[in-house]
Amino acid sequence: MYVRLTLFVCLMVSLVAPVFAQSAGSGMAIPATTSAINSPTPLSQRVVAYDMDAKYDAKAHTLEATETLTYHNLTGQALDTFPFHLYLNAFQPTSTWIREGKREGTRGQDFEKWQSKSYGAEEIKSFEVMGQGDFTSQLQYVHPDDNNKDDRTVVQVHLSRPIPADGYVQFKIKFHDQFPETLERTGWNRDFVLGGQWFPKVGIWWHGAWNCHQFHAYTEFFADFGVYDVKLTVPQFEVVGAGGIEVGNVNNPDGTKTVSYHADDIHDFAWTASPHYLIYNDTFQSSMGPVKLRIMVQPAHWSQVGREARVLKESMDRFDRWYGPYPYKTLTLVDPDPGSQAFGMEYPTFITGGTTWWEPEGLHFGSAEAIEHEFGHQYWYGMVATNEFEDAWMDEGINEYAQVKVMDSIYGPQTSALNLWGVTAGERDEQRVFFTGVSDLDPIAKNGWQYADSNSYGGVTYGKTAMVLLTLENIIGEDTMRKAMHTYFLRYRYTHPTKEDFLKTIEEVSGRDLRWYFNQAVYGTQVLDYEVLKISSVPVDWYKENLKEKKGETEYDCNVWIHRKGEFVIPIDIEIKFDNGDKVRERWDGQDRWIRYEYRKKTKVESVEVDPDHKLEFDRNNFNNSRTAEANPSPARKLTNYWTCISQFCAQLLAWWLV
Amino acid sequence: MSDNTNLVSAGAEIARRNKRYVVWFFLLNLAFAHFGATAFNDSARGILDHSLYADKLLHGFNLGVFMELLAHPEFGAIPGATHPAMMFAVVFFLASLLFMPGVLLGYASDHRLPRDEFYRACGRNVWRFVRLFLFFTIIAGVIAWILFGALNALMTATDKTSYERLPFFVQLVGTVIILLVLTIIRIWFDLAQTDVVLRDEPAVRKSIAVGFRKTRRHLGRLLVSYVVIAIVAVAVLVAGILLWHAIVPPSSVLGAFIIGEATLLLLLGTRFWQRATAVAFYVRERANVEATRTIPTFAAPVVT
Repeated sequence: MYVRLTLFVCLMVSLVAPVFAQSAGSGMAIPATTSAINSPTPLSQRVVAYDMDAKYDAKAHTLEATETLTYHNLTGQALDTFPFHLYLNAFQPTSTWIREGKREGTRGQDFEKWQSKSYGAEEIKSFEVMGQGDFTSQLQYVHPDDNNKDDRTVVQVHLSRPIPADGYVQFKIKFHDQFPETLERTGWNRDFVLGGQWFPKVGIWWHGAWNCHQFHAYTEFFADFGVYDVKLTVPQFEVVGAGGIEVGNVNNPDGTKTVSYHADDIHDFAWTASPHYLIYNDTFQSSMGPVKLRIMVQPAHWSQVGREARVLKESMDRFDRWYGPYPYKTLTLVDPDPGSQAFGMEYPTFITGGTTWWEPEGLHFGSAEAIEHEFGHQYWYGMVATNEFEDAWMDEGINEYAQVKVMDSIYGPQTSALNLWGVTAGERDEQRVFFTGVSDLDPIAKNGWQYADSNSYGGVTYGKTAMVLLTLENIIGEDTMRKAMHTYFLRYRYTHPTKEDFLKTIEEVSGRDLRWYFNQAVYGTQVLDYEVLKISSVPVDWYKENLKEKKGETEYDCNVWIHRKGEFVIPIDIEIKFDNGDKVRERWDGQDRWIRYEYRKKTKVESVEVDPDHKLEFDRNNFNNSRTAEANPSPARKLTNYWTCISQFCAQLLAWWLV
Repeated sequence: MSDNTNLVSAGAEIARRNKRYVVWFFLLNLAFAHFGATAFNDSARGILDHSLYADKLLHGFNLGVFMELLAHPEFGAIPGATHPAMMFAVVFFLASLLFMPGVLLGYASDHRLPRDEFYRACGRNVWRFVRLFLFFTIIAGVIAWILFGALNALMTATDKTSYERLPFFVQLVGTVIILLVLTIIRIWFDLAQTDVVLRDEPAVRKSIAVGFRKTRRHLGRLLVSYVVIAIVAVAVLVAGILLWHAIVPPSSVLGAFIIGEATLLLLLGTRFWQRATAVAFYVRERANVEATRTIPTFAAPVVT
């Protein structure tokens, strides 16, 4: 029986085999190199290997390149269709990116008027599938998200023969790029260029289907891990930087040079060139080995480089200790051309910060915050490679939460965003400002391109997520939360987890059912807002004539009303302070709309505070969380005094010039 | 240089002798600003007076909390708080326009100007000053528009370079030059206003011509005097801010009020110093001209 079955299988395989283009025996493979990582073995399940040779024309801002992409079909089924991202085609007037940008705003460009320098393009000159022939004429643009026929950011190829499960396929693509003047952190500015999203990139097979979204106004990217070998040919005067490690640098007779890079276990590759960069080298000792830091600085910013290196290394240290090791051998930090829209972007092992020559030390929400944030993305996006189209909060929001923790640790919680001339702000204050104006427009868990507008996307994805996670940390404890984040990182690095993977990890580590919280905070739009509605202290003998109230002797009926203004239900603590110094703590489950607490005491209520330990970080209105019996006009007077001085000064200035 | 020093010190002496004008204008501006801040104060008090969270604004100044306050629905739209202040700033400007003739007459007098004379001067010159203001606005506006346009063009050109500090310094130098040009126009019209008041000249175009001639002939002296006083004003402002930062505790409303208002008073005083300097110059010039006119002329003796 066994022999017959074996013969039958062999016969079937011999019949079917010619149908498949490639097999494991075809000689194709994804390299198992480890030269760019501090690990003797590959870290990720490598699906792709990109081998690219690109020549950049610095005058025309164009690039001619060839790409050889080897794809390992690990989907468990045969594949005959492959979609590719052509991100640079987003910068065309009728693209989805521009349409959405006009309608809802982008990250930095309002497109009041279309300018030709904003034009970008990624044109495939030839597309060959090894063993199957040329498919250039059969490429089809597809529009999976909005059916915009004019959008050309996703192209699809249908093979004549499917690639079997565990088989390989190799694509040879020749393409031409036209970079725009920097948009969405890619393109040129003066003689600077940042090559981001510059090559045809295959979509990702995720949960049984291709996931290859069009480029949207404020979504980012999603791709498989693999190996990158890239040769960049640029004029010899350019200083070049890129992801991965530099493996070659050769001057060519035509006045150009070719710089070669190799990278392991990453899912994107970016590069930059400018004749003006100064290089600052440093080293960080991660728990997996030394990391070479290469900071590419604008000449005018050289005085800032020490600060940039310090915040980078301190951030790396916190991430290494709290969440897990940074395994790559290099990290390149780019200070992009001033005025360009290349500020603050992340690519694997390659990030952009940005500063000014005059930036004061206490302005932490400038370059320091950007460096910390973009480095954080090496973890939340770089290694834990979530779907940035559909779960933008899982990279941006989780990263913002980590940013609050790291920046607080470096600069102190009250001054982690700003500490300048007596004016302060903490990172969590900044996050609150982000989301309070848009707190009920969209849930956190939503496709990135379907938010109401860019403000809601930013406020909810970044700010609200950070505040929701800080509140969660207060519910389960800081140590537990850190342990959960650590577990999440170690478990899902070099994979593509879903939102439930993250939420379940927190539940598992904390040992608590947090679904009631996640349903409201992550999946819902309920607003969290508790208030102290009113307080009163009435003498018990109020009806007696000639009643004289005496402190410590007169008895009062004290009442305190607490109101749940928002729809978000969460148990809260309430602290009632009496004017003899007594304090009472109550706990309310928040199920009803309001609750009243009554006390009969020989003292009056002095103040009441909801959430006295300040655990509910994303309560929309912190001002109404407390109420004092006596008014304290000093804060308002102080602000009014500032306002009076400013308006007096303006009036004097006006009169100075005009009279 | 000694002429300039004399002019600046003569102006200082006039301003010191008549410091009540500065004080009155200051109190007027303070009152207007106070009224202008009422809406802001009411909005802020409604949210802050009974909230413990307001402590973050009292003991220090947390920018995030302040922005949260401004974004608070109960605080109302920001224009609701800023518009009254802007309106009162315009009212102060109009009041300055109305009362400046009396101040100039007072500066030119060698005695304390009686109140009725002060108001009479104000009343007689109000429309003349309005007309002068319109001329000033047109001339200064056109010149400023041209100069700022040129500066913008220059900035666009420098922005093409990769030398990041170049645009900054071009902007800085350009702005200083524009301010100097506007100061010259201000001197011109300060002298025209002085001429209108002291000669009781109903035809303002004649006073504008007088102001122009005097400015052109004595530009160096006048400009240096005005710039010296303007530098003093900037120094006063910087010193006031540093002092506020150094000695006023964050929660001291009174301390901030005293330092802030003292700085504003001195700042206002510097502008009156400039006006006094213009009056001193004008009076001195007129005296010179009259002295020249009254020198008797004798026929040369005939020698045979």
